[in-house]
Amino acid sequence: MTDIDIRSFHPLEIRVLLHFSEASELTVPEMVARVGLKEGQGNQVVSWLAAKGLIEESSRTARVFYELTELGKEYVDTGVPEERLIRVLEKDGPTPLPALASACGLEMRDTGSAFGALSRVGAVEMDSDKRAVLIDPAKADWVARVRGILERAARDGALAEESLDDAERTAVQGIAKKRGAGTVAFRIVERSEVVYRFTESGEAVRKAAADSGLTGEETGSLSPAMLRDGSWKRASFRSYNIDTPPARLIPGRRNPYAEYLESVKDTLVGLGFEEFDGPVVETEFWNSDALFMPQFHAARDIHDVYYVAEPTHAREIEQPYLDQVAAVHENGWSTGSRGWNYGFDRDFTRRLILRSQGTVLSAKQLPKAKVPGRYFGIVRCFRYDQVDATHLSDFYQTEGIVLGEDVNLRTLLGMLKMFAEEVAGATEVKYVPGYFPFTEPSVEVHIKHPKLGWFELGGSGIFRPEVTAPLGIDVPVLAWGLGIDRMALMHLGLNDLRELFSNDLERVRLRRRK
Amino acid sequence: MPKIELYRNALDTYIGEKLQNDVLEEQLSVAKAEVDEWEDEHGLLKIELNDTNRPDLWSTAGLGRQLRVYRGGDIPAYDFFSTTDAPKECGSRVVHVDAGLKNIRPYIAGFVASGPSIDASTLNDIIQTQEKLCWNYGQKRRAVAMGIYRSDLMRFPVSYRAADPDATQFVPLAEERAMSLRQMITEHPKGRDFGHIVADFPKMPYLEDAGGDALSFPPVINSARLGAVEVGDSSLFIELTGTDQSVLHLACSIVACDLADAGFTIEPVCIEYPYDTPAGRTVVTPQYFQTPVEIEPAFASKWLGVPLTADDCIRLLGRMGCVAAEARGSVRVQPPPYRNDFLHPVDIAEDIMIGYGMGNFEPTMLQDFTVGRLTAVEVLSRDVKTVLVGLGFQEMVFNYLGSRRDYLDRMQPVATDESDADDSAMVRIQNPMSENYEYVRPSVLPSLLSAEAVSAHAVYPHLIFEIGKVAVRDAADSSGTRTDDVLGLVLSDVESTFNTVRDKVNTMLYFLNIDARYEAADDSRFIAGRCARILVAGRTAGIMGELHPQVLENWGISMPTTAAELNIGSLLSRESGV
Repeated sequence: MTDIDIRSFHPLEIRVLLHFSEASELTVPEMVARVGLKEGQGNQVVSWLAAKGLIEESSRTARVFYELTELGKEYVDTGVPEERLIRVLEKDGPTPLPALASACGLEMRDTGSAFGALSRVGAVEMDSDKRAVLIDPAKADWVARVRGILERAARDGALAEESLDDAERTAVQGIAKKRGAGTVAFRIVERSEVVYRFTESGEAVRKAAADSGLTGEETGSLSPAMLRDGSWKRASFRSYNIDTPPARLIPGRRNPYAEYLESVKDTLVGLGFEEFDGPVVETEFWNSDALFMPQFHAARDIHDVYYVAEPTHAREIEQPYLDQVAAVHENGWSTGSRGWNYGFDRDFTRRLILRSQGTVLSAKQLPKAKVPGRYFGIVRCFRYDQVDATHLSDFYQTEGIVLGEDVNLRTLLGMLKMFAEEVAGATEVKYVPGYFPFTEPSVEVHIKHPKLGWFELGGSGIFRPEVTAPLGIDVPVLAWGLGIDRMALMHLGLNDLRELFSNDLERVRLRRRK
Repeated sequence: MPKIELYRNALDTYIGEKLQNDVLEEQLSVAKAEVDEWEDEHGLLKIELNDTNRPDLWSTAGLGRQLRVYRGGDIPAYDFFSTTDAPKECGSRVVHVDAGLKNIRPYIAGFVASGPSIDASTLNDIIQTQEKLCWNYGQKRRAVAMGIYRSDLMRFPVSYRAADPDATQFVPLAEERAMSLRQMITEHPKGRDFGHIVADFPKMPYLEDAGGDALSFPPVINSARLGAVEVGDSSLFIELTGTDQSVLHLACSIVACDLADAGFTIEPVCIEYPYDTPAGRTVVTPQYFQTPVEIEPAFASKWLGVPLTADDCIRLLGRMGCVAAEARGSVRVQPPPYRNDFLHPVDIAEDIMIGYGMGNFEPTMLQDFTVGRLTAVEVLSRDVKTVLVGLGFQEMVFNYLGSRRDYLDRMQPVATDESDADDSAMVRIQNPMSENYEYVRPSVLPSLLSAEAVSAHAVYPHLIFEIGKVAVRDAADSSGTRTDDVLGLVLSDVESTFNTVRDKVNTMLYFLNIDARYEAADDSRFIAGRCARILVAGRTAGIMGELHPQVLENWGISMPTTAAELNIGSLLSRESGV
């Protein structure tokens, strides 16, 4: 042991090291006697020094002790049954056994066996009237001996076997047990008394302690009193062992997924976007009709959206939007479109569903939007999907719009580039023609992410006039959606979407940014 | 979005050159197509098509045609199309339609294709086109169903009539016995898939030839004799039936162009209707029914952000296979016979964009100045979260769909199985995928308790919260429902009592500068006498208390747990002084 940091030892260890020499017999009782430790402190010092390999066992002696049980402690006050019988008979004279039992405060069974023990040695007998009569209490000599042992044990604690003479040992063994000692006065306890000696490195530490000038009286914690009275100036502070493993603390914490979504919101706000939000229950009107998806469109199948059971239909759809959207479906209204050329179903359009795409809220924003304006939302959407690692029944979509007199395809691409760089940290961006029922043209943006490689970041386009005009907008509107789930998973070191919505508290507590 | 399988060799033939994989992949973006799987050992390639309005691209011939033209090939001119003004000669190739079909399945179109004996690749392609067209574009055969027959075995004129489903019978494909139409609906696999389209009509669509031989039971199944086309056949009769004539005519034109590209000669068929149709009573198909569409170069320039002349537009549209010409300063486009997706000039603008090449547009930054802003609910929620984290709470994020058991039964002060609680305050899904996701949550508390139920292994105390949405029924709203932003919090610990939760809530409200009062409340989710309503500005804003032991037992939670739920909207209106 070359580097001994003696300041990192506990004061109790220092005190023990200072009080024992190489040759001393190191035992806990000796520590109690010579250093003034409590027995518990002695045991702690032994375990610390042994764990560091500074002391080792040199001998071990097994010793037997008799400890008072709860019943034994009661006997110290009341006496064993035989003693109580003698006392009552001395006071009351001949007494029938039932009366004797109650005067002694004993069960009939215990009274009988105590009477039997006394009558066998001739200390008592039964007269012709079936009364117990005291003959010669001195013949039951163990009664007085037991009294003496009980009192010694009450005073000194556990009695070492070697401290008892033969007669006492016989007496105590009659009322002691190793296990199940609840019914007797003493519990037999076997203890080993261990003697330790310093190891080689222990000896080095002992010398270092002696040379260190430490007393073992160094201050553990700095107290307010020390600061107030200035005694800290004279104090010497014990060093801490910085290698002890730090404890795990459980702080209050934000959820990392929610934090990630917030960071995306903050980025978008920084790019000039205003947040929108809305109810989870929507109508077919807003969910699809307003987005110029024909009512017979494949994506509007019963197996793709969740229908609300009750009520089934909204009472009304806001005007003039209903009439205008119906007209644009039927014949293009005044948009220059020829429309979808079918009879728009005004009952079906009121059908209530759970929002299946975030674009709903982009459409709902149009009637109240400012020009120029930029809006976004990160909103929960619901899909008729089997839940697995890549599909959830409800999940977040990130969507938005940009309104402006002069926005066009090139500004759409510029905006996508901005998202790719600012939101996703992309190093390269690629645009390909896409298809969405509500935008024309439509563009998909693929990005090269430093960690994830190439993937589709999102879809976008310029809203069709059939979407914007019926909602009162006569300028081009860029519409976009970003798939940020993959980035969220990467951000948190996960690969299963269900983990984002985990209800396992331990996992949520331990989760952190990667 | 349809996915098709095609032979790489056949695709190369239609394109007219063999493209390297990376070139092919890039060129496919012109058709909004992506390679799903590169070719296997049989040379079969899987491709996903994204544009649901371009069914002409869902075949090897159609996809190859678009790529060939884009790469500089000539725009094909097909000479077999009739118009209403100029019908082609049909000879004996006539289909008579029965008046009884008018309200069942009124329209039919078709043609005869004769030429080289058909090979496996072409046959595979026709069958695939049939499936994709009828499923994705034809609304699962409701709007378009297609049949292919061996025309050398049949005799014109063909009769398309409304037949008695019990008295009419033939041997359908994949069967060896004659069946009535009604039997096919219930017993034949295709009948079970598609029979519902016509099952409710007293009479059903039926096609037979001049000799009374059955062709098919549209839209369900072909006859095993005339309707079983095999490799080596060289003369085919194709027919399509449906409910929307222009959709049907487009599908018919697509199949005719594909077969023409495969080397077949297309011979028109004349349809004789006893009732008026949008195309008239006598209609020759394949028919060119599209009308010209126009775009002003100035509009295209504005929409796309690049200066474009009429000549530019015409040239770029040509790459997309569209013949265009200048007309009064505008560009007039004659849609190809296999396309009908130009609803608005913006649709033409998209073709110009693809013709121009996506990579040739220089991205530019948005010019307008706008102010970014979070919603008031988001701003307040963030303040609430900051205070709660300081008070030792862990934020959770939960799904919004769940079961009746979790959202309702377990929250009752009776054993879960004995609950007969009323769900009329909850938003229920009519078509749930599973009973595990049947309701929108009416409260955040069941979500938080679901976490407690699985987190007994996590070191206590547990202090958790979520701010999220809940939905409840509300007759005051037109939708009969209401979505609220709600804060829920739960404290689970040996020493968690009413006072613990009240102190946390009170401290939180103090720092949000919201004055609240508490008032004893009865809420069966909580222990009687240990529950309080939270009042803000005199109105109920939430509830808190010690959860009822029966509720905890229902969740399998064996730790005293207290909870609170507050409506963020109520706090918001107080905060903004409303």
